[in-house]
Order: sequence, then C-alpha cells, then structure tokens
Amino acid sequence: MSFEHCMRCTVCVENCPVAKVEPRFPGPKQAGPDAQRFRLDGEKSVDAWVNYCSHCMRCQVACPYGVEVADIILKARLKYSKEHFSPLSSHLFANAYHLSKMGSLAAPVMNRITPLPVFKQAMGLLGVSDVPDLPEFRFLSLERTRRSKGRGRRVVFFHGCHLNFNRPDIGRKAIDLLVAFGCRVAIPRQQCCGLPALGNGDLEMARKFALKNASMLTRYVNRGFDVVYSCPSCGLTLTREYPGILDVPGARKVAENTYHIFEYLLPLVQDRLDAKGLRSIGRVEASIAYHVPCHLRALGIGYPSVGLFEMIDGLSFTVLDNDCCGLSGTYGFKKRNRETAAKLGAIAAGAVRETGCELVVSDCGACRIQLGHYAAMPAMDPIEIVADAVSSGPLANKRRTLAERVASLFPSIKGGTP
Amino acid sequence: MGEHGYDVVIIGGGVAGLTASIYLAGKGFRTALVSRGDPACCLSTGCIDVLGAHEDPMKGIDRLPRNHPYRIAGRRTVIDALEAFLGLMEERGLPYRGSLGRNTGILTPIGTTKTTCLVPITMEASSGFTTTHIHVVSFKGLRDFYPSYITSRLANTSVSVFDAGTSSTLGLATKFDEPSFVDDFCAWLSGLELPPGKIAVPAVLGLKDPKAVLQRIRASTGREIFEIPTLPPSVPGIRLFRALKDAFLARGGHLYWGNAVASVETRSGQVEAITMAGPCRPSRAHARAFILATGSFVGGGLFAQRGSVRETVFDLDVKVPGPRRDWFLNDFFSPGHPVEASGIEVDSSFRPLGCGLKNLFACGSILAHGEIMRHRCGHGLAIATGSAAARACERLLS
Ligand SMILES: Cc1cc2nc3c(=O)[nH]c(=O)nc-3n(C[C@H](O)[C@H](O)[C@H](O)COP(=O)(O)OP(=O)(O)OC[C@H]3O[C@@H](n4cnc5c(N)ncnc54)[C@H](O)[C@@H]3O)c2cc1C
Ligand code: SF4
Ligand code: SF4
Repeated sequence: MSFEHCMRCTVCVENCPVAKVEPRFPGPKQAGPDAQRFRLDGEKSVDAWVNYCSHCMRCQVACPYGVEVADIILKARLKYSKEHFSPLSSHLFANAYHLSKMGSLAAPVMNRITPLPVFKQAMGLLGVSDVPDLPEFRFLSLERTRRSKGRGRRVVFFHGCHLNFNRPDIGRKAIDLLVAFGCRVAIPRQQCCGLPALGNGDLEMARKFALKNASMLTRYVNRGFDVVYSCPSCGLTLTREYPGILDVPGARKVAENTYHIFEYLLPLVQDRLDAKGLRSIGRVEASIAYHVPCHLRALGIGYPSVGLFEMIDGLSFTVLDNDCCGLSGTYGFKKRNRETAAKLGAIAAGAVRETGCELVVSDCGACRIQLGHYAAMPAMDPIEIVADAVSSGPLANKRRTLAERVASLFPSIKGGTP
Repeated sequence: MGEHGYDVVIIGGGVAGLTASIYLAGKGFRTALVSRGDPACCLSTGCIDVLGAHEDPMKGIDRLPRNHPYRIAGRRTVIDALEAFLGLMEERGLPYRGSLGRNTGILTPIGTTKTTCLVPITMEASSGFTTTHIHVVSFKGLRDFYPSYITSRLANTSVSVFDAGTSSTLGLATKFDEPSFVDDFCAWLSGLELPPGKIAVPAVLGLKDPKAVLQRIRASTGREIFEIPTLPPSVPGIRLFRALKDAFLARGGHLYWGNAVASVETRSGQVEAITMAGPCRPSRAHARAFILATGSFVGGGLFAQRGSVRETVFDLDVKVPGPRRDWFLNDFFSPGHPVEASGIEVDSSFRPLGCGLKNLFACGSILAHGEIMRHRCGHGLAIATGSAAARACERLLS
C-alpha cells in the first residue's frame, strides 16, 4: 500500500528500534509516509536522517493498514545516495561479497590481521566500527566444496555469503539435514543476494547480483527444483526485493518456489516421524533463548525453527521477538551507527540474559555475532541444534561415508569454528 | 506455497484474538495466530474498560440490551474471563489492579477523569487524584503532553520538567529500562521541594519492568507515584500487547505476524483452510476450527461502503443499524454513533449467524451490538468474548 493509506496511528513508531535510542531519527511515520509527499521528482533530497534507518522492517510488519513503510524509506535512502556522496564505509559494505571472497582466499592471514588494533584503526578511518569483531573467514568456503549431494526431492541451496565465507560448517550441516530427509541438494555457484548493496545505497550493484542469481535459480526452478535458503535476509531479498524493488524478470516464479530451510523440512520430518511412529527427532539437553531475526519476521512465514525445536527431547526454549539485535547486517558495523547498534545490542542481549538460558540461538549470522558479543554467551544457528538432535536420535544415518571417516581423522581440514 | 496444519487458527491479534489464543494454547491445542498488523491495544491506555457507563460494571451488565455480547456470554463468563486476565498479568509481571464491582477514575493528560475498571499497577495511585496535591513531572521536549492542561483544570497541582536527553515516549521508556537512569531521576526528584502529596508522570516508566521502576521511585522519594496515559505511541498499550503476545508464545502458540488472511476455503458447513497473503508469497493453514477476531472498522474486520458494511475475511452477514442516514448522530463528539452497533451477530456459542459454518467462532469488537464507545467496554468486551469463544471452540475440539 502506498503512503496515502497511512492512518497516522503511530504503530510503526512503536516498533522502530532505532527511533527509541537515536533522537535524531524522527521514526518511520515521519521518515516514511509523512515525508513522502514532499519527495517530489526532480528535487534534491534534504532528509539525511533517512540514513539512520537500519531497514529492520519491524515498522512494516507492524503496520495494521499494510503501508509499506520500510520500502518507502529504503527508496528515499536510495534516492538520497544517488544525489549525494556516500561515505567510504557504504561502498565497502555494498561490496561485502567481493571483500569476503578475498578474505576467504587469504583466510589464515586475514583472521590474524582483523583483530589487531592497527587493523581496527585503519578500518576506523574508513568509517568501520571496532565492535563487535568482524567474523572470521574460512578458506574452505562452501563454494569451494562439492556441487551436489544426496538423492530424492530436487533442492537448490542458496547459502548466501555468511555461511559461504564465514560459517561453511553450518552450511554443510544444512546440506546434510536436507540430504538426510530425502533431498538431492545442488549447491551451484552463486553471488551475494544483493541486500548489503541495497542497504548501502547501491541499487545498480544490487541489481547486478540479483540478475545473476535469478537467472541461475530460474534454470533450476524450471527443471523442478525448489530453492531453499537458511539466512532470513537472503530469503527476504530473493522472495521480496527481487520481484519488488529490484524488478528482476522471472523473480516472481523463483519466489513462489523458495523456502526457508525449516519451513521446507518441517513436513518432511513430520512425515518421517509419522512413518516410524516416533514423536521426537532426538535429544539435546539445553535451555536456549531463541532470538527471532527481524527479517525472519518480515518474511511472514512464522517462526519455522520453533517447529523443529518442539520435536527435540530435553530442549527448553524461550522465544524472543520484541527486540532488534541492532547490527542489521552491515548497519551496526558502521562507525556512524556504532552507538545505536551498541544500545540496541545491549537491550536485546539483556532480554536474552533474563531468560536465564545458557545459549542464544538465532537463524541470522549477524544477530549471532551481535548477541554472542553483548550477551557474552555462545550463539548458535538452529541448524546446529537440529543437526545435533538428528545425529544422536532415532533417525540418524549410522553409516558414515568414506569421505566423512577420512575427514574425522583430520579435523583441521574441515573448516568452521574450532 | 507453504502448508501448515493446526487444531485451531485465530485470525486477528488484538486483545480478543490473543485472549482466545492464550486460552486454547494453554489447553494444549496446536494453535496459530495470524495477524495483519498490531492491534488497537497498542494505541490504547492499557486500562481495561469493562463497562464505563455504569458505576458497578457487573450490575450494569444486566441492564444492557439482551443482544449485547456481554449478555450472550453471561455475567459468570465475564467475571471468570476478567479474573483469568488478572491472574495472567500477575504471571507476566505486569499486575493489574481494580475491582470488577466498582469503576475507578484516573487522571488524563488534559486534567479530566477517565472512568475505567482495571488499571496497570503503574496507574493504581491515580485513583482519588482530586483529594491530594499532585506534582506533575514532564520531560523536556515531550510532544503531545502539556501539563498546563492539568494545572488549569486542577487547583492543587504543580509542575516541573526533567531533561532526559530524549523527547519521545518510547525513547523515555527505553531510558527508564536502565537502572542508572532511574537512579538519576530519583536523585533529581529528591532534590525538589514538594508539598505532601503524589507525583504524576506521563506513562513512560519503562517497557521491561515498570513495576520495579515504580517501586524504586517510591522507595527513594517516599511518595506515591503514578502514570498518566499519553496519546499514542502509548507505552502502557505496548506493554499490555507484549505481555499477552509473550504469554501466547510461552504456551507454545505459533505466530504469523504481518500476514493478512486473503481467502478462505469452506466445504459442507466447515471452514477447512485459510490462505495468508504473506509479504513475500502466500501460504495456507488448515485447521479443525477457526476464530475470527479481526476487530471492527479500526482493526479492519469491518469495512464501510456507501450503503453497507462488509465483513472482510469470510464475507459474513453484517448487522447494520438501518440505512446510511441513520448511522451517525449530528454531534460528532457524542459518545456512540449508531453505526457502532454494526457487526457480526452470533449464537450462544459465539458462532456467526446465518453462515452455517459449524467450526467458525467470532469475538471482540467485530461483534454486533457491542457499542464500545457508548458503553465504554473496549478491552473488557474483547477479553470476555475472546474467552467465551475460546471455551465454545474447546468444546468443539475435544
Ligand atoms: C485509539 C484507541 C484507544 C483505545 N483505548 C482504550 C482503552 O484505553 N481502554 C479500553 O478498554 N479500550 C480502548 N480502546 C478500545 C479497544 O482497544 C478495542 O475495543 C479492543 O482492543 C478491540 O480488540 P479486538 O481484538 O476486538 O480488535 P483489534 O484490536 O482491532 O484487533 C484486530 C486485529 O485483527 C487484525 N486483522 C484485521 N483484518 C485481518 C485479516 N484480514 N487477516 C489477519 N488479521 C487481520 C488487525 O491487524 C488487528 O491486529 C481503544 C481503541 C482505540 C482505537
Ligand atoms: S503504522 Fe502504518 S498507518 Fe500507522 S502511522 Fe505507521 S505507516 Fe501510518
Ligand atoms: S525499517 Fe526498522 S529502523 Fe527503519 S524505520 Fe522501520 S523500524 Fe525503524
């Protein structure tokens, strides 16, 4: 719905994490529908404050009248960046994919350099914040490993940048889970989904990424493949921004066949359990605080990971969906947003700690970096929890492949967090 | 398209839908709640109006027209529902105070009295505000809160202003969530030389644990303090909404937020499934029973056209008070225009009349004859009918 449908109810303002800690941001109602009537074609933008928006989309999810508040603001930001010089950090983060690729190639060196004070100072000059630490890179990225695995339902896995370059271990677990529940998983070469470029004001670069990914995914979808992602922000970009703001041909069809990994697995797991007359997929003795990423909420698919948590014996969990972690992809890594990100990180981490749980779990890599840092506790992906349950449970495939047996002899080549 | 299966799906995440959802999830049914957006509750004062038009709300129920939803639910059910609400709020750390047998009056930001029934603990001390000195504390730059309205109406009052470095209700509430800020505020308060009496602040005493903030200020100043509800963005409204939503999640309920129900499938007198439009792509949920709680005109459950009113999800029959010329009174501000009585008529099990759908129930402000503005029964009616519809639904499911 366009800005004219706004009732001025202020529900969006009530949901904006940035507005509550950054008085210079007037909030989504004013930055969105209120200001929109003044953004006439041909006039240069003067509303620099739109750049405070982190594009968490909480305002849009909350609006009772379907006004696309966050989209209005995103378009205003794109217009603003086009008409003004962008800070260096924006160019840097728009390019996160290419930088990560280099980071991964030089992983052993990079991981030693990035925590050094001198590196942080250098990055500071470019407008990059010094907290939290940048994620470590892995040399054995997902794109450097096998292209296809398993047999059965045809699935193409969109792993995105974070799993690819920083956490390929989680990516492999995701692939193995899909395989375990009867999928043949293709892992083709892919680009960044494009959200970092979009969020940093570079529409052209975002579109370049999107066109490449969409044409690759369309070929798969046309051959009867379903697309599965695990990063909520990648999912949101594939299913909402490609056919929407990025206006990518054929993207609607891709979106209709694209699923979050647990949205996809839930019925398959349920069928397997029903067939075997079982109730649970396995046991994990833990109590976890499950932080729902903002972009998972924005997908409007519910909280699918919870459906799997319910199938795990011994697991107790608290669902937290009131707070944004404050990192919002690359937003919080910028010096300009350091204070805002730190305040929001502390609030969200406070909610995590109050649960008394020992572990924070979230589907989004950025949320995990931020909450792990501010709550000072281990942060895991639901994929790790579910994989753990399955591997010890009644559905486990006890036979290990030769490759896995060899790999287990040399843990150091596996890639992933130690 | 995504597929989900549940025992029951509730459509609409307002106080009515949440009350029904919490009840059914608590009984162990697989429960999903679908909502297009945040409800009217987030804009409200957080106070539970039960029947503002009568001094004793419970006695007043018997004097309502027979077709009023309270009468359909019955006095016993209304009492049970509101008592369950009080228990639930205690559990969630947001206690409510008040008596179902007597309304109370609280101070509004324009110095008038709001008649209501159950109030959050942060407004408890507001009752009887005319009998003592009230010192109003405002915050520098706070929009839409002008203490001079209060001082010009009430004689025994004074005002001071605190500079918190932020000027929105949510910004302030976020500050009050930090213990160090509360300490600063208490130190400043203690430095004021005030005559004996109470302290009043706009409703910004924290989002997380307002009860603790209240206690800290009370302990440090030795005075009673209470919140004055503000215009939206309304902190007590958000607190109430979050407490209910979190109670639902804690009972294992599944939430589909930012999702409008776009279409429904019915077969041989049963609703079989709904399709959620979804911001990205549609998904489908089938269930054994459905509860409609999409609110009235504000919530979007009802939509007024030139000469008729439409129910937006199932296209149910809507009872309308005569032709359009009879919908409105001449005086805009008079409480309760006749069009307010519009809505869905239900049987004694809260099933919509005339549609023949045996597994569909309705509750909240979408019901006909509620006349919320006239009777001043907003959240109270939502809680009572949400609970009544959930109980009827439970009988069908078990
Ligand atoms: C500004 C304001 C202040 C108020 N203050 C008070 C007060 O202080 N005290 C009091 O007791 N009462 C107050 N009321 C009245 C009270 O808020 C309502 O009567 C009551 O909360 C109604 O609850 P409900 O659940 O029936 O509907 P609503 O709160 O309207 O909720 C309906 C929900 O359904 C959703 N929905 C609509 N269509 C669809 C669809 N197709 N698919 C999915 N979801 C859908 C909406 O997004 C919404 O979340 C106030 C009302 C307003 C508007
Ligand atoms: S929530 Fe929607 S309708 Fe309400 S003020 Fe914001 S944009 Fe406008
Ligand atoms: S997208 Fe997030 S940060 Fe931006 S205005 Fe909306 S709620 Fe605020």
